[in-house]
Amino acid sequence: MSESSVRVSRRPSPWHLVLIPLALVMAAPLIWMVLTSLSSVADTQRFPPGLPSALHWSNFSKAWNQGPFDRWLVNSAVVSIACVISNLVLCSLAAYAFARIRFFGRGVVFVLLLATLMVPFQVVMIPSLVIMRNLGLIDSLPALIAPNLVTPFGIYLLRQFFLSLPIELEEAAVLDGASRLRILRSILLPLMGPPLSTLAILTFLTSWNDFLWPLIVNTSSDVMTVQIGLASFQGAHFTNWPVLMAGTLISQLPLMVLFLVGQRWFVASLATTGIK
Amino acid sequence: MRQQGRFAVTCAGALTVAVALGACGGSGDVDDGTAKITLWHGYTGAQTEAITALGKQWNAEHPDQAVTLVFDGGNDDVLQKTTAGFVAGNYPDVAYEYGSSVGPLSRQPRLADLTERSQDPAVDWDDFFPAVKDASTVNGKVVAVPALVDNLALVYNKDLFARAGIAEPTPDWTWQDFRQAAAALTDKEAGVYGWSYVNDGTEDTVWRYLAMLWQAGGELLTADNKKPAFNSAAGLAALNQLRDMAVTDRSVYLDTGNQNYSNLFADGKIGMLWTGPWDLSSFDKVHYGVVRLPGYNGNHESISGPDLYMMFNRSDRKTDTAWAFTTWLTSPKVHLEYAIQTGDLPLRTSETKLPEYRSTYLKKYPGAEEFTDNLDNVQHARPNIPEYSQVSQAVGEMVQSVLLGQAQPQEALDSATETVQSVLAGS
Amino acid sequence: MITAWARRRSTADHVSGWMLVAPSVLLIGLFGLVPLVWSFAMSFQRNDLQTPAEWVGLHNYDQMLGDPVLVAALRHTLIYTVLFVPLTLVGSLVVAGALNRNIRGISIYRLAVFVPVITSTVATGVIFNFLLDPEYGLANGLLEKVGLPAQGFFSDPDQALYAMVAMTVWGWIGFGALIYLAALQSVPKDLLEAAALDGCGPVRTFWQIQVPQLRPVTAFLTTWLIINALQLFDEVYVTTKGGPLHATTVVVYYLYQQAFQYFHAGYASALACLLFVVIVLVTLIQMRLTRANDESGAA
Repeated sequence: MSESSVRVSRRPSPWHLVLIPLALVMAAPLIWMVLTSLSSVADTQRFPPGLPSALHWSNFSKAWNQGPFDRWLVNSAVVSIACVISNLVLCSLAAYAFARIRFFGRGVVFVLLLATLMVPFQVVMIPSLVIMRNLGLIDSLPALIAPNLVTPFGIYLLRQFFLSLPIELEEAAVLDGASRLRILRSILLPLMGPPLSTLAILTFLTSWNDFLWPLIVNTSSDVMTVQIGLASFQGAHFTNWPVLMAGTLISQLPLMVLFLVGQRWFVASLATTGIK
Repeated sequence: MRQQGRFAVTCAGALTVAVALGACGGSGDVDDGTAKITLWHGYTGAQTEAITALGKQWNAEHPDQAVTLVFDGGNDDVLQKTTAGFVAGNYPDVAYEYGSSVGPLSRQPRLADLTERSQDPAVDWDDFFPAVKDASTVNGKVVAVPALVDNLALVYNKDLFARAGIAEPTPDWTWQDFRQAAAALTDKEAGVYGWSYVNDGTEDTVWRYLAMLWQAGGELLTADNKKPAFNSAAGLAALNQLRDMAVTDRSVYLDTGNQNYSNLFADGKIGMLWTGPWDLSSFDKVHYGVVRLPGYNGNHESISGPDLYMMFNRSDRKTDTAWAFTTWLTSPKVHLEYAIQTGDLPLRTSETKLPEYRSTYLKKYPGAEEFTDNLDNVQHARPNIPEYSQVSQAVGEMVQSVLLGQAQPQEALDSATETVQSVLAGS
Repeated sequence: MITAWARRRSTADHVSGWMLVAPSVLLIGLFGLVPLVWSFAMSFQRNDLQTPAEWVGLHNYDQMLGDPVLVAALRHTLIYTVLFVPLTLVGSLVVAGALNRNIRGISIYRLAVFVPVITSTVATGVIFNFLLDPEYGLANGLLEKVGLPAQGFFSDPDQALYAMVAMTVWGWIGFGALIYLAALQSVPKDLLEAAALDGCGPVRTFWQIQVPQLRPVTAFLTTWLIINALQLFDEVYVTTKGGPLHATTVVVYYLYQQAFQYFHAGYASALACLLFVVIVLVTLIQMRLTRANDESGAA
């Protein structure tokens, strides 16, 4: 293993034999979604289900024309990107303080923040609505962004990361009188590729796939996200699976691209993580 | 430590004050003095197109009013969304709700009382089919305008009957005829079942049982809705029939709630369904027939799952608009036109007397006539009480436990009766 | 070194510490803590979300004592958590180990493993309903080929909860593997090189050098998985709706039913408070255990 991580080997690695079946099992739903999105309705009514009789690409255009998909995608992107950026910044700052600085009230505050993780959203939904109403944010994009600007999850994740770093890295800088922000930016930030890309992807994912909150807090079509838009594909009594799956694929494509791009960060950071 | 605790309390206090101070910025539930209204709906596909066109037409004809149609994320979520809307202050003036939501929403103080309006002769309230009229009424008060009506009939695959060599269902079938046919249609080798029952324990499980209960002469609750009444000979007969078919004969495919039954019927794997007109569009490849439900001692009652327009009061002016718009939508001519575009059943008796009903509607939807006629077989409505969803849950579990062979019918009846009793006594 | 840190621990630290956490504390306070306290208050009310609420003291808590569905929901939640957390942890670790290499196409494999995390729960539910359909599903088709009896899965009250565990473990392994992978990549390379020089095989290096380095991440993941397991909802909502016969009714699903189907928001809040206490206790115990573990490991 250690040699394979040094450079890309020329011969196909035996690991493919393990990874191909693993990938197939995990990607099964995606494969199924792609197949369904290319089927006709009659194909999806067959038992046992089989391959599509022909490739029905029109499902994608039908899905696209179902509503203002471009608008929904842009809304989802705005909300998700805003949440990612703000989480990266705010969680890093807070996590660093919780991990490294002994300040007044640290323990209590940290426990209180974590406590909010332990209540299911269904319970705090009604109070949250009242707060949003009082802030005058009902039926707007900020209503989707504000509650997720910083998440206890992100703070906890990054704090655990800081705790795993040897303290010696910062010690010299502290003795030299460098400010906390400076230490964070110039010493720790270069090491934070993996946890930050993890946090970025997970934050993006959560806000992109969020359903209940956007459904409840927003009503106008021009502030709808793509997940709510997708719901318009599902009738009460009848579902057109091929079009629904085509729409779902369109809505998830940005996530997959993001993951493909983001995961390079884990590899790229290999070089920089040669701590010391 | 003690100091830290005090600090946290101070912080929380400060935050609460901050929220309380912001409490003056509420919006949305204030009357703006106009006749502009918002209607929430969960329509999809052809229905969206049809209602959007009608909304435009109304606004063009009534320049002093404005009806805004808003898609609310789907009918399944609308009750939750409306409830949240009252908290958030952005509740709609009109919402399309399932009939089962009338009970819970009947406590809503903003719910408009439409009783007086419904007596206006111009509306011709009694023209609506009894099934939807009853569903719009709570404790004698009219609280909604009917939006959609459907009912259960027997839909069967003619080819499977021919292959099994048995006679097709007739309108006079008994439960016994039905059971024998289901057993004869069932073919384990070919993976074919005689009947399918939705067995997820939700209202989908309950309403088919209710039809049987009513056919056998039973009632779900006492007339005052205060006590359970289904623990009777009728209730037992209905459960016995289900047990005989699902457990003894094994002629029933138990759908787990993912609506597989519809695909299986479309693929010729299920012989008969008790279903409504909404499923017919999925069956265009099947050679199917529609007939009223098999009966008990000549009673062929069906059950309706009506959907309703409910109105929430901001001002009389808005409610006037809401009432005018929804009664126009459901007036005979307009609604028949809408039904021709969407395949919905007629809501009013007079719709079936209009010339386009035969010349256009029935031509386009050949299966619809049986369902429309079957509306006359709907005699009961579900009780419109706030506790209905809990009653439904208990009955659903009772039916489910019998279908799965986990309980004997009488034992299941007893335990469900006890639950319903305490639910009704509780609040 | 300790003295150096101690000297720095001064007013400056209090100020800079608070400045760094202030934005987070304000935001989470407003959108997290206030609603939390609020729902605690609601647990002392009779509240149908429609008419004005009414204070009823401990009535909701009193009602919990005689609620058989709650007892069942608690039992299911605990069984689920006890199975789900360790299975997901081990699965994620193994998958992360397999993915932590620089071979051709590795990014495709990583994407594949991550697919269940991206896929919407609705789609996941549909797929598993298809696979596990007792009559026509692929799973029973395979069992039949091997000569085993067909199973009921989601339709059998005795199996539904275990089917739920299988489905969610599959859905969460990608997440766990991603977190582990990020951590594995930060294991200092010289440690691995030293191990290779000492003649450690790849499997031994993995378990003896890399895994111990993952302790903080494992602690994090365990906590996170427990919290999520105790709050299981979406997957139940899209597959079994708590059935059959309550077999998959877990606490949050029950709470949701109480609040939004039966409109017993007060009782639902009381259930949430109970769940909150359980989660806090479990988390504390788990943190104690990992800390004890760490100390014994260090000694």
